Amino acid sequence: MEFSDLIRTRRAQAKLLRGPEAPPLRGTLCLTGHHLLLSPGPQATSELWLLLLRSVDSIEKRVASDSGTITLRCKDLRVLQLEIEGVEASLDIARSIEALSSLESVITSFPFFYRPKGLRLGDAWHFHPPERYYKRVARETNAWRLSEVNEDFSVCPSYPRAVIVPRSVDDGALARSARFRQGGRFPVLSYHHAPSGTVLVRSSQPLTGPQKRRCAEDEELLRAVLAGARPGARGFIVDTRSSQAAKQARMTGGGTEAKAAYPGWKRLHRPLERGQPLQESFVRLVEACGDLQQSTDSWLRRLEGCCWLAHVKEALSTACLAAQGMEREGACILVHGAEGTDSTLLVTSLAQLILDPLSRTMAGFQELVEREWIQAGHPFQLRCAHSAFSHARPKHEAPTFLLFLDCVWQLGRQFPLSLEFGEGLLLALFEHAYASPFGTFLCNSERERCLCEVRTRTHSLWSGLNQPKEQRKLRNPLYAPNPLAIWPSVELQSLRLWQGLFLRWIRPPEPSEVAWEKVWQIVTDKEKTKLSQPTVSASEPQL
Amino acid sequence: MQKSEEVNLVNPVFTGTPEFPEWLLHQLLNIIHTPWRMSLLRGLLGMELIETSVRLFLDFQEKLASLDSALILDVPLGVISRIEKMGGATSRGENSYGLDITCKDMRNLRFALKQEGHSRRDMFDILTRYAFPLAHSLPIFAFLNEEKFNVDGWTVYNPVEEYRRQGLPNHHWRITFINKCYELCDTYPALLVVPYRASDDDLRRVATFRSRNRIPVLSWIHPENKTVIVRCSQPLVGMSGKRNKDDEKYLDVIRETNRQISKLTIYDARPNVNAVANKATGGGYESDDAYHNAELFFLDIHNIHVMRESLKKVKDIVYPNVEESHWLSSLESTHWLEHIKLVLTGAIQVADKVSSGKSSVLVHCSDGWDRTAQLTSLAMLMLDSFYRSIEGFEILVQKEWISFGHKFASRIGHGDKNHADADRSPIFLQFIDCVWQMSKQFPTAFEFNERFLITILDHLYSCRFGTFLYNCESARERQKVTERTVSLWSLINSNKDKFKNPFYTKEINRVLYPVASMRHLELWVNYYIRWNPRIKQQQPNPVEQRYVELLALRDEYIQRLEELQLAGSAKLAEPSTSPASPSPMMPHVHTHF
Repeated sequence: MEFSDLIRTRRAQAKLLRGPEAPPLRGTLCLTGHHLLLSPGPQATSELWLLLLRSVDSIEKRVASDSGTITLRCKDLRVLQLEIEGVEASLDIARSIEALSSLESVITSFPFFYRPKGLRLGDAWHFHPPERYYKRVARETNAWRLSEVNEDFSVCPSYPRAVIVPRSVDDGALARSARFRQGGRFPVLSYHHAPSGTVLVRSSQPLTGPQKRRCAEDEELLRAVLAGARPGARGFIVDTRSSQAAKQARMTGGGTEAKAAYPGWKRLHRPLERGQPLQESFVRLVEACGDLQQSTDSWLRRLEGCCWLAHVKEALSTACLAAQGMEREGACILVHGAEGTDSTLLVTSLAQLILDPLSRTMAGFQELVEREWIQAGHPFQLRCAHSAFSHARPKHEAPTFLLFLDCVWQLGRQFPLSLEFGEGLLLALFEHAYASPFGTFLCNSERERCLCEVRTRTHSLWSGLNQPKEQRKLRNPLYAPNPLAIWPSVELQSLRLWQGLFLRWIRPPEPSEVAWEKVWQIVTDKEKTKLSQPTVSASEPQL
Repeated sequence: MQKSEEVNLVNPVFTGTPEFPEWLLHQLLNIIHTPWRMSLLRGLLGMELIETSVRLFLDFQEKLASLDSALILDVPLGVISRIEKMGGATSRGENSYGLDITCKDMRNLRFALKQEGHSRRDMFDILTRYAFPLAHSLPIFAFLNEEKFNVDGWTVYNPVEEYRRQGLPNHHWRITFINKCYELCDTYPALLVVPYRASDDDLRRVATFRSRNRIPVLSWIHPENKTVIVRCSQPLVGMSGKRNKDDEKYLDVIRETNRQISKLTIYDARPNVNAVANKATGGGYESDDAYHNAELFFLDIHNIHVMRESLKKVKDIVYPNVEESHWLSSLESTHWLEHIKLVLTGAIQVADKVSSGKSSVLVHCSDGWDRTAQLTSLAMLMLDSFYRSIEGFEILVQKEWISFGHKFASRIGHGDKNHADADRSPIFLQFIDCVWQMSKQFPTAFEFNERFLITILDHLYSCRFGTFLYNCESARERQKVTERTVSLWSLINSNKDKFKNPFYTKEINRVLYPVASMRHLELWVNYYIRWNPRIKQQQPNPVEQRYVELLALRDEYIQRLEELQLAGSAKLAEPSTSPASPSPMMPHVHTHF
């Protein structure tokens, strides 16, 4: 199918309103297969304005006698208004945008056509494979090995080709354990905490079912996890569902690990919100933030009603629990919910951020996102198909990744010096997860990415972000490496609404960007006087 | 994780002073440190007259003190608002008998005592005497304090110098000494700035028409457009709608000091209805027909009683236990942030009128010493970057609050035992809260940090310094406060680095307009909930955090060095048993392992 079939009108005269702070733009509106452009005409001073159609979340059209108004609500929560001359033209453009922004095919999406200057294809795709993390683990302990049992994605379609597993368990046992876990997600290493000699392991739920089935290889695998840790280590299974929900899952073939079958492991239930309720909480929050008509006197009540901060609190405290289990109790932790692709990853990635100073560096955090979200099979395409404005009934959408970013932002707020990256990186990840010219967040798993040849035919977001010109926006000028664990306060009183994201397009020109720039200035000035290293360097974690 | 273990003090060490009897030495008490439903602790309750202040303290063994700094209680007696006995001789059950101490800084402390002996009565008497010296004809602690600093804070504010900095006197404004002996207005400072064209007789006549003789005088003049902020009290209009030609003329003279403006803008800080109601008691506001060349706006800020009740509600939800389940809606129902919003909005309007509207502004409320002080000082902070430096802010407080007669003694109740006094109100605290909100929104605009603001608030109550004592300048002069007490600014200015914001970038002429929308205001957790250890250590000041981090690094290096030395020495001694890197940020999640 050609894009041109979907484009009814290519060109129209239009005025663009970009919210209260930016002046309106006038010019010629052009529609291409992937973009909406506004060219302000030859005499104008402003530059070409460009919008990736993929980032449009919903469209609203209104017509007057000889013009039409299109309201575009974007996935990054921006709201744009286009006033277009000609009723016919405006309706055509609206319909075209509608069709083009909701194309489902991956391989015709913009990343497959995006060829920015200065970047080479395949540059950063070998930046973060599991092999790389394994090298680090191997230096710390001998108890784990890299297995290629999933080489052809047949054992677990949502895992990468290589996973880290206990050395004493062979590939055959892994394959049998995989058959006992939903979606084949058998327990694999997520993080090795060297100071305590314990590990963080993740999986999906065991398929115990109503008959309370068992699987010897799965039990052996978890036994091997404990055996490989520090002597005498116990294990905790953090189930991200309520015990009620876990019990109910048995009726549909899922379930939990039976106590008797897994000696040394104890189960804890920490229910986290997921799926549709989480998406609804996100939608309500964005609605409340954008509702400028309502009396602001009841703002706090409304904010509370959205429950978003309560979800942040639950996610952070569950991550603290897992991290504490390892650091303080010297225990191994297995995290899973049902599928093991959402709240499970939320908990394991946050726990690492709390414990592991390397994951708080620019490169380390990118690696964490790559390893614990993208390669670990968080279904980005399904979860981020729509953002908070879509009128369509959500099917698989859920802002789990956004919740993760929010939690990271809260950590950064409470420990302003301990993260090497700043709010800028988190905002960029949010934007790119929902709509991006880069291929990094495409598809739902490594298997799909292989089928679509994402690695060879698109650019990686990481090489885009690691260009020197981006650094000032993304890095935290105050960063000072902190070798300690960072334990956040998870009380509601210590959590804040992430204004930089949720009020980003609503607030008046805030001085926060100005302040950020000034702090950079101060820091770089100081460093200049000290004649130290330039701040922009593509640092990589020390391995 | 919170330890809730019981700690036994073996041989408590106590260094008593002759002032305080031996009962302290032998009294071993059960103390419930209620704040955060923490624990039952055995400790020694004592009081000491240390160099800096009389304070109530709990003497724990060092071992215990290092456990969690939140367990150390350090309460200057000036902070105490109320002391009550709880339980009686017949009370049964643990911790039902003792003392309950309400503090002005959002704390309540309960001490469970043993019923044997008469220790409680002694303790109650002594505490009462020293916490409320006024009722016992004892001097306030500031007069006993003999601290020495290498800077004298009393020299920070010199009105003549400050007005000269503003470019005064000039062709339109003069400095008058008419109030030198406080005979024109006993709650105003000795030195005032008034229009050049108004004679001293004019001023005297205007004074008869303004509540408590607080006539309109200049607070601040815009360096470029020469518009001014003028402050005063309400006009004495009364039920009959009295008029005063001199007052009307005087306001017109103020307007005419700047030729460009056709109307003088009057901001009445009160809600419209309150202003009307004030007529019944002889007050009122400037009516349109009497003041042709003025425009009046009401700013809807409520009175001291409303503010007091609002803060009381805040205390209810943060102490002793933080409201957990409906935190945000409980916070909303205190209306505290709404009041902050209204005060800030009012100040923004004043600043905007002067700066962009190029109109002179007159601000008053009823008496012109509470809301008026909030509005003028906040507007000045927005307009004039000088006041955003440490010394500039001290001058601002000294000028708009202390010298212009904000009734600190009545609002705070220094040394006074009448805790229910209707004159008490957290007006100054509210002002500092607004300043904090601004510093959050403009992180590089202020030379001072959060600690500076908290320190000011702590000493608002502590009575260690003379700075906030008494209601007005005349009373302070009578008591020779500057000679007999130390200024808070001495403490701060002799150790300025501690109070500096590392990101301060000086900008002249930048007007700051904070966003006063509820979406952008937040509860000042580090102040109001600072006694809660769950929140306390989680948000260390960046500077302090870096310090902690550096210390941790240093420890690590020392440890590594020791290990290397050990490894290097031929005789291998016992390996050092130093613990792995200690994490100073304690987690405060409940674990149920």
